[in-house]
Amino acid sequence: MSKQTAAAHDPAHDEHRPNVKLYIGVFAALLFFTGLTVAVSRLHLPRPQAIALGLTIAGIKAALVAAVFMHLWGEKKLIPKILIGVAIFAVTLVVIDVLDGIWLTPQDTSRMAVADQHPDESAAEPPAPAKPTAAAPEAK
Amino acid sequence: MSSDHGHDAHELSFLRKYVFSVDHKVIGLQYLITSFVFLLAGFALMMLMRWQLAFPGRAIPLIGPMFSPDLAPNGVMSGEFYNALGAMHGTIMIFLGIVPLGVAAFGNYVLPLQIGAPDMAFPRLNMMSYWLYLPAGTLMLLSFFLPGGAAQSGWTSYPPLSVINPGQTVWLLAMVLLITSSLLGAINFLVTSINMRAPGLTLMRLPVFVWSEMVASVILLLAFPPLEAAAILQLMDRVAHTSFYMPKDLVILGQRYAGSGGGQPLLWQHLFWFLAHPEVYVLVLPAMGIVAEIIANNTRKPLHGYKTIVFSMLGVGVMSFLVWAHHMFISGMTPALSNFFLVTTMIISVPSVAILTCLIFSLQGGSIRYNVPMLFALAFLPLFGIGGLTGLPLGLTVTDIYLHDTYYVIGHFHFVVVTGSIIALFAGVYHWFPKWFGRKMNDRLGVIHFWGSVVSMVGIFTPMMIMGLAGASRRLYDPTAQVHNLIVQPLNVVSTYFAAVLGVFQLPFIWNFFHSMFRGEKTPENPWQATTLEWACPSPPPHGNFAKTPRVYRGPYEYSAPGRATDFWPQTDPS
Amino acid sequence: MNATAIENPDTHSGISNAKLGVWLFLASEIMLFATLFTTYIVLRLSATSWPWGWDALNVPLATLNTVILISSSVTIVMAYARAYDRDVRGFRLWMALTLALSFGFLIVKAFEYGHEFSKGIGPSTSVFYAVYFTMTGLHGIHIIGGIIVNSVLLYMSFVQEDWENPLFLGRVEGAGLYWHFVDIVWIFLFPALYLL
Repeated sequence: MSKQTAAAHDPAHDEHRPNVKLYIGVFAALLFFTGLTVAVSRLHLPRPQAIALGLTIAGIKAALVAAVFMHLWGEKKLIPKILIGVAIFAVTLVVIDVLDGIWLTPQDTSRMAVADQHPDESAAEPPAPAKPTAAAPEAK
Repeated sequence: MSSDHGHDAHELSFLRKYVFSVDHKVIGLQYLITSFVFLLAGFALMMLMRWQLAFPGRAIPLIGPMFSPDLAPNGVMSGEFYNALGAMHGTIMIFLGIVPLGVAAFGNYVLPLQIGAPDMAFPRLNMMSYWLYLPAGTLMLLSFFLPGGAAQSGWTSYPPLSVINPGQTVWLLAMVLLITSSLLGAINFLVTSINMRAPGLTLMRLPVFVWSEMVASVILLLAFPPLEAAAILQLMDRVAHTSFYMPKDLVILGQRYAGSGGGQPLLWQHLFWFLAHPEVYVLVLPAMGIVAEIIANNTRKPLHGYKTIVFSMLGVGVMSFLVWAHHMFISGMTPALSNFFLVTTMIISVPSVAILTCLIFSLQGGSIRYNVPMLFALAFLPLFGIGGLTGLPLGLTVTDIYLHDTYYVIGHFHFVVVTGSIIALFAGVYHWFPKWFGRKMNDRLGVIHFWGSVVSMVGIFTPMMIMGLAGASRRLYDPTAQVHNLIVQPLNVVSTYFAAVLGVFQLPFIWNFFHSMFRGEKTPENPWQATTLEWACPSPPPHGNFAKTPRVYRGPYEYSAPGRATDFWPQTDPS
Repeated sequence: MNATAIENPDTHSGISNAKLGVWLFLASEIMLFATLFTTYIVLRLSATSWPWGWDALNVPLATLNTVILISSSVTIVMAYARAYDRDVRGFRLWMALTLALSFGFLIVKAFEYGHEFSKGIGPSTSVFYAVYFTMTGLHGIHIIGGIIVNSVLLYMSFVQEDWENPLFLGRVEGAGLYWHFVDIVWIFLFPALYLL
């Protein structure tokens, strides 16, 4: 989008020659996708599919805004590099925290599971759930 | 290059010149003095705690009766007061003391000079960082005097306790301010060092200190926002009674918690350590950078393995984001993740050891000048080594089950941060003092300060390690409450005496600093005969630093180059 | 190479300080919102039930707000295009329109909140509403921040000296980047809270 107009204009801003027609096109696309995502959510798809579809549409919309409005398309390479680095760290944070949430279910810590894995420790009656939390503020 | 103020020395009012200054040098010194004051405040809190630990149940001498009866009835410290002291000691030392000192104070003063820039990229933003930091720190200290008192839930602020305990709201507000200040600073350092380097100063010609600041800034930039978000959520839990961290069916003192429940207490631990582990590297990396500068300068030879050090620092920076949950091995986190974090923790020790090894090898074959900064830098090497290596058993799940929450953890961490970071920061003060004031600190007082500090630091923290191995819990207000602690209780007394000695030996430093500022021996522009750019401008540098933008011709540590008349070859020397 | 690179030929990144600074700031903002979305996912996965947005919230109003925010993203980029062509009146018009739309967003949001409060629903009602109020609230604070920045720029366009400052276009671009980022956050918040 920028190559043709670049030579004619101030070289400092060559890759950012605003392309108004493109902006309007993206605006139309964003409106379309907004309508689409609302319409799809009315269909009552099963939740996993609905979430996958909704996030895909949101991803497309975000990519359009970032690439065109934020001029990431045709930006100096340094900025995409920074963003990729950030994305890696952000994904790590999300994935690991979510994995911890998924992998450790309440069933793992239930009395049954503990009795299964540590028969010696669960022989004695475990304390009522209220007690440890109640004692915490005093013992700190 | 886009710093839009002129270089002409126009007259500024006192307020604009020394208080609301936009000059990176003034801001650097503001940070330096302020963070030293906070270090001193944190030290004072620690002395009170140490009294209680060594002599539980005895009235605090001299100042005990001055505390209000809620805090210390009859001069004897109460449990709540002890908890508040513990929480505030950690918070102040880390967030208000060492990070601002290492990153902001040295970074602000030295980094622009080392890259040959006239100022930081955003001078006004820089001023704003300081003026967010100071109110945040003041608020944190003032919280002792507010109704509800200071935070009592440790510097880690684990919920649900932190949501229930009084005093936490002010802590959270101060942290949000502080994080904002750090973020602004980190952006500033990164833009400055990416964009404003002098011509010829390629990345591989940067002094190690600049690299360490860049990596520390990246860590601050990306690790602090999760804590900011987490702090906001905790604030919501406290103020709006949401239940982000409050589990279902929580019972407090026999009463059901009023909120809706359904939250995840462990989530806070994840988000907190996602910052707080990288934060340790923020504490340590600038220290390593300072030590590298001083060692290269005083061994009069190039740094051993410059590239290894740089890439190891980058490696540490990246890996530091992947190790956080080794603080949570026994928190109830899913054990499968423990294995992952065990492996990453062992991996991150590799680049750290590589850096230390390079620094030690740099000594080999050098004709070492044993001046005061070099003494501190030399002490850093073995003591930081001890700090780092004692961390390995904590990163292994099996040994951590035993050592977790014992005094061993405290000993390890303080070896890293006190005999590591603080020693190196002292070295930096002695090293760059001539740059700041055009005068030199007194050598004899410096040597007294050095030996007194190093010996007493080791004296404080070694007993902690032994107590921890004997199983003493770090959370106890009265260690004698557990019988198995009685055997090692005398070590608590030893530790406390050494802490007092450490305090006494800071007096020569304080006097030396302020006295030398005005009366110290005058020094030439480049007293250490150093090669890096900060010594290529007058001391102290005028507004705008360099008379004309310097040009860089070579790497940062060209000492004892064969065939040259002098044993140092400045980066700006065209010959 | 380009104009900025001439001064420091071998070291300069070629990106202006202001733009690099804004991008780094956005990098930290990405981490901030990534954390909030992590919280959302973790709490949602551990919840026994999670309400559907159509039942719990006002989707038509939120859709209207989405359209408003997307439009404001277009108007601010048009303002940038006008500033690029040194057309001060066009810039003022588009920037004023952007501000009007952002106030519109806040007003709609206020109606939404007011409706929920009137039903006795607040952040403490359930984890879902805690997430909803906190995330939209923080997003709203970002909108207010954007309004402040954009108003300052609009004011500056009336000051001859500022308008002619060569840094002005960079400032508009930086404000635009921030505003688009706030838009992107909403693009994800909208389906996450209202639709899925």
